[in-house]
Amino acid sequence: MSCLLQIDGLYKSFGEQSVLNGLSLKVARGEVVGLLGPNGCGKSTLLNIVCQLLKADGGQVLLMGELLNHQNLNIRKKIGYCPQQSALYPDLLPQENIQFFGRLYGISSHRLQPRVSELMEQFNLVPFSNTPTGALSGGWKQRLSLAVAIVHEPELLILDEPTVGVDLEAKTDLWRLIENLRDLGTSILMTSHQMAEAQRLCHRVALMRNGQIASEGSIAELLTLVPGKAMAKVTSVNKQAVLQRANELGWSHREWDDQLTFLLPNNLEIKEIIDALGTVQVSAISVQPVTLEDAYLEIMQTKAAPV
Amino acid sequence: MSHSISLVAVLDQTMAVSERLLLEQWRQRRGLIFWILFPATMMLLFGLVYSHNDNMRAGLDAAAAGILVGAALFFSCLGGTVSIIAAERERHTLGRLLASPLHPAAYFLGVVNAQMVLAAVQVIVLYSIAGLIGAKYHGSWWLGGVILVLSVFSYVGMGFFLGARFARRSEEVVVALSAIGVPLLVLGGTFFPLEIMPAIMQKVAQWSPILHMNQAFKGVAAYDLSFKELQFELVFLLVFSVFSLALGLHSYRHLLDEDHQA
Repeated sequence: MSCLLQIDGLYKSFGEQSVLNGLSLKVARGEVVGLLGPNGCGKSTLLNIVCQLLKADGGQVLLMGELLNHQNLNIRKKIGYCPQQSALYPDLLPQENIQFFGRLYGISSHRLQPRVSELMEQFNLVPFSNTPTGALSGGWKQRLSLAVAIVHEPELLILDEPTVGVDLEAKTDLWRLIENLRDLGTSILMTSHQMAEAQRLCHRVALMRNGQIASEGSIAELLTLVPGKAMAKVTSVNKQAVLQRANELGWSHREWDDQLTFLLPNNLEIKEIIDALGTVQVSAISVQPVTLEDAYLEIMQTKAAPV
Repeated sequence: MSHSISLVAVLDQTMAVSERLLLEQWRQRRGLIFWILFPATMMLLFGLVYSHNDNMRAGLDAAAAGILVGAALFFSCLGGTVSIIAAERERHTLGRLLASPLHPAAYFLGVVNAQMVLAAVQVIVLYSIAGLIGAKYHGSWWLGGVILVLSVFSYVGMGFFLGARFARRSEEVVVALSAIGVPLLVLGGTFFPLEIMPAIMQKVAQWSPILHMNQAFKGVAAYDLSFKELQFELVFLLVFSVFSLALGLHSYRHLLDEDHQA
């Protein structure tokens, strides 16, 4: 796949606080890349630089080989931006919001009306065509915000936590809409705090820490960074005895959320784990395959420095 | 053009911005009614005062002109512009606009254009009421039009300056307007004639752009003064409107940079 977005050695500081420290990342055409990381790690700052809402202190961003700079307004037509807050005009009707931004992106009048109707249909907004945007619920506003972001059929779609603050039904619906865009070949760079969201939508995930990419790869690749096939969570009054026995068995352990978690070399049944622990008393055991959340915690909490 | 989009595209963006602003005004009918009710009420009140006193009846024509330029356009064009900037910030739409290929000049001109339309509506409403209570417009329509256009430019420019520098939230709009705008209105002779002010105030008032807008429009509307007779006011107004537009555009760019760094 050809490279659509190339970010090379980005630096950004706010006063004394350094937010991005030489970050580099690539997004291929048709690829969905998710940025995950703790609050303040620089995810939104990175998106804001790509959308030209912020100027980088150093480094460069190339979109389709063209350097992004604040003087080049035309290149912005290749990017669609869906901010965290819906950022819409509350007194306008949904179709009027789409139409307004369509005009700013230079869509000709004969193409604009059919495009607005198409998006209203695609995003199921037709029943709300007489409802002022300000009266829509959070989930519908977010759907409309996504429709506004793609009115000009951008090459690259930037989504800043697209499902934050919406209910489960709206979230599932937004995921379906984003999946449709992905399946149509839209390249997407998105931030999220939800592992399930990244696991469902992204081809590739970049884990950010201290303004750098700590690790990146497909979900399958990231899962291999966890030294185990399954995670067993064990509760016991005698932690030391459990640890000693697990050590004898060669299970490495993590203490996340004050819970003993063991990385099992194979997918064991609960009965097999109890048998392996022998006489050591445990009050609860759960076991599940390694997930992206485990990989995230493994990378964020156990690696001393970014790789 | 350094921003690499065509003039036609800039014009279309300008129209999109002004149409959106006017549509929003139309939807917020209560706000629109107040914009019209305010000068209408002022005109009726001043009309009653002037009509009540035979010696003052001659002042009615000048009062109509003063209310239009000094009060109606001040609050709608200046106050309205400050509100627009504050609302874009509060609704986070500024970020979305900045990420789009919207040319800064197109946004600025879009606001100017929308305010011109609102100003035209106010002129019609105010002079209709003024006509009903006996006030007359005496001078050249084109010269009056030029003064009103320059006044709108000046107010919108000042509105961008105040909005970008002082009004981060809509609650701050009233404070910014009261603190900076209302003293200018008083010094501009909107509420009291310049002649009844102390000498020192009269000297200070010469620096209030609203005074020159008032005097220029009153000169045409009430006293049928010619271009030549109003030369000083017109030059002052022209220079001030250019300065104000430049200041407004500069403030808008400052706002964009500030938002970029936010």
